[in-house]
Amino acid sequence: MRKERPPRSFLLKTSATAICSLFFFPTIYLIVRNFTEGARPGELIFSSRTLEPLKRTLLLAIAVSVCAMLIGSSLAWLVTRTNLSFRRFWQVALAIPLVFPSFIGAAAFNRTLSKGGSVADFLENFGVQSGIQFRGFWGAWFVLTLFTYPYVYLPVAAKLRHLPVSLEESARVLGNRPLATFRNICLPQLLPSIISGTLLVTLYTISDFGVVQLMRYDTLARAIATNHLAQPAVALAISLILLVLAALVVSGERMLRTKTNATETKHSPRAVQYHLGRFRFLAHCFVWVIGLLAVVAPLAALSQWALGGIIRATKPTSSLTIDFEKILSASWGSIWTSVIAAFISVAVVLPIAFLAGRHRSKTGTVGQIIILSTFAMPGLLIALSVRFWTLRSELAYEWFGDSSALLIFAYVVRFGALALGVCLVAVIAVPKQLHEAAITLGASPRRRFRKIDLPIMAPSLLAGAGLVLLSVLKELPISLLVSPLGFTNLTSRIFMSFEDAFVAEAGIMAVVLVSISFALTWFLVLSNAEHR
Amino acid sequence: MASTLVSMSMSPLLYRSHLRSFSAILVIAALAVSSCASDTQRFLDGTAAEIYSGECVQKTGDTVTIYSGRTENLIEPVLDAFACETGIPVMVRWGASTDLALLLNEEGSKSPADVFLSRSPGPVGYLESKKLLRPLSSDVLELVEEQNRSDSGTWIGFSGRKRVLVHNIDDVPIEDLPNSVFDLTDKRYEGRVAIPATNGSFVDWFTVFRDVHGNEAAQNWLEQMVDNDARYYYNNRAIVEAAGRGEIDMGLVNHYYNYQEIAASGNKHRAKNHDLGDQDIGSLLIITAATVLSSTDKAAESESLVSYLLSTPVQKYFTNRTFEYPLAFGVDPAEALPPLTALEIGSVDFDKLGGGFEETTRMIEATGILNQ
Repeated sequence: MRKERPPRSFLLKTSATAICSLFFFPTIYLIVRNFTEGARPGELIFSSRTLEPLKRTLLLAIAVSVCAMLIGSSLAWLVTRTNLSFRRFWQVALAIPLVFPSFIGAAAFNRTLSKGGSVADFLENFGVQSGIQFRGFWGAWFVLTLFTYPYVYLPVAAKLRHLPVSLEESARVLGNRPLATFRNICLPQLLPSIISGTLLVTLYTISDFGVVQLMRYDTLARAIATNHLAQPAVALAISLILLVLAALVVSGERMLRTKTNATETKHSPRAVQYHLGRFRFLAHCFVWVIGLLAVVAPLAALSQWALGGIIRATKPTSSLTIDFEKILSASWGSIWTSVIAAFISVAVVLPIAFLAGRHRSKTGTVGQIIILSTFAMPGLLIALSVRFWTLRSELAYEWFGDSSALLIFAYVVRFGALALGVCLVAVIAVPKQLHEAAITLGASPRRRFRKIDLPIMAPSLLAGAGLVLLSVLKELPISLLVSPLGFTNLTSRIFMSFEDAFVAEAGIMAVVLVSISFALTWFLVLSNAEHR
Repeated sequence: MASTLVSMSMSPLLYRSHLRSFSAILVIAALAVSSCASDTQRFLDGTAAEIYSGECVQKTGDTVTIYSGRTENLIEPVLDAFACETGIPVMVRWGASTDLALLLNEEGSKSPADVFLSRSPGPVGYLESKKLLRPLSSDVLELVEEQNRSDSGTWIGFSGRKRVLVHNIDDVPIEDLPNSVFDLTDKRYEGRVAIPATNGSFVDWFTVFRDVHGNEAAQNWLEQMVDNDARYYYNNRAIVEAAGRGEIDMGLVNHYYNYQEIAASGNKHRAKNHDLGDQDIGSLLIITAATVLSSTDKAAESESLVSYLLSTPVQKYFTNRTFEYPLAFGVDPAEALPPLTALEIGSVDFDKLGGGFEETTRMIEATGILNQ
């Protein structure tokens, strides 16, 4: 009989410490720059120029988190556990909103639903005047909720697909009504996934600049962007305040996290399916409304621009400024960077997840707080900090100065939190008894990792990879500022076309981007879940 | 190809069969992309050929690295033509002008950038205040009028955009249109005017406003605009698009976005530009700026690129294709553009922009326009 050997834990700790320090670079950058610019975050925090945006940031973060949580988890349940029509389609489609870059997604809403937009025009035919003005708190809340609920939806759906059915079935056999079964059996097991997904929504909302800028809602992230060039000291101080806020949120969530009994097994038979019965119509309405608003409406606007451009391009007088070759190279840039960043993210956060989730070690906890809070930092700051550090070390510059490795690194630092949130929940869900049994049988740690942890965690890990992947596909500042010269991806090209009102070009590439994410989501997150 | 290998080495995380089909797709995509990469071209095609139609010179020497705040769609043909005609290869980092200026500041003397192209003078002024710019030679500087370059000779304007009032043609009758930006504080325009308050060209415009009319008048005007329920939009394009849909009646923007929108949407776009009088600050010309960075070790090549931007074919391209005003001597604006007037040529000192930037931003923020 072999016992758990300390060296492994040592190895785990060393690698985790190394990984943490890499994720810590942006924070150190902020602190250093605060000093060099003579910023005074301590003074600024009590001035109204910080307090007002801070209040708005919190308000928005709470409102968006609550709604995204409700929408994300109920959608997850509907598409995995009920006899909803077109379930397979919805399973993939409902993850898509994550990929709309906010600058173009929010604009697409305006172009379809606001006055003069295609949907508004359509409604006007029936005498309905839709004077929806997307702005302020409600505008930001609406768009951010629709674009962030997948942070909850994807991991919860992954979890639901693999919940053991035995308990649920026993409960039903014993006469529990479906709702009671859900409350007593499913919910406690889903709660960790729901909470960690919601945390990601909260942090993303804090970091978001694109949507609040379009909707004119002055949050901290917007105050940073407005002041960056003119008053760097103010911008840097506010960034530091934002980071502290994020760390507080993350620590708060840790305290909130409930302990659940791990009951997961590798091969659960086909999941229990509920018949919607008289709620069928209601359920369909819900899924369709969300689908129409979050997927179809933006996509319709984008396709409309794209089609306009394609029709225009057939006339000899005017041509598009992009060609097939450009779209192809940009797509390829998007695909390979996002896939690699997704897998590396999952791989590097795993040690932290094990330490924090299973071994409950301090290193793990600190790592968790660092990685998750970094997610609240706007992408521009991550990009600047990565360039800042690379150029300050001869060695780093020699190796990574202008390479795609640096780009991938920046993506991983920006989005590692998405993988970590999901991995943590997955690690906790592995039943201890299995490990104990395996140790008794003399299985080595590596073998146990391969034979017990990995198979059980796989669906969640893939969901985590999926979250990172979709997020990388839309990330803008990092793609522009950290990429090796000559590299382009779809988001950069969409942004540039859109900036100068080349809407046709932007539309075409955005449709390509959505198709690619549809395909990748299918491959990575869902296809294996369905064939078992 | 290396990337495919990396993703394959991750195999424990994936189920094998899917991995195989997935990598197969990656490999096919990689092959497709690599097969598309063309060899050195002998002649240019497309828009770039309008700028230079001769045979390309054999590529020689070092690559010039450009950080461009002007977007790929508009500038790439110019850079292609430059590389073809001179044989100097170019590499570009694209981005928003402000973001790139911030990046250049972080990179400092180690920056790989040689040339920076900005959409407006503000970001260049910022870099000048950080002492990151290299003075241009007088040969280059003399390609434009004195007021379209910096006094210290560190940057030069290479195209111009005129400030105009864009308006919806269905909702705003011609007799409703104002003659000056000062009219817009009138009750008649309450809740009808859009302002891109954080956008680079607006900030620069407002800095000149302060310079011409004084701080007090400028601040009063903006505060009255806020009182009159002026609406904030995040950039010019968003205003032009919203005016075309009828979401907003009118807005203060650069002239050229409306041309682009009409080209894209035709008659469905219901907006037109209105010229705000000869002497009004509302019809100022805002210039785009080119500069060479002090970190460069390719000064000669960089300067030849900057002067290429002011060559006649390129200036003609700017005015005919991107509907901007040429700045080099001897090139006339396209006929479709409204004529330039006295204020635009001669009375504005763009050097004030760099230094005034900070104060202007503070003033704009203080009025509360950002939440309108």
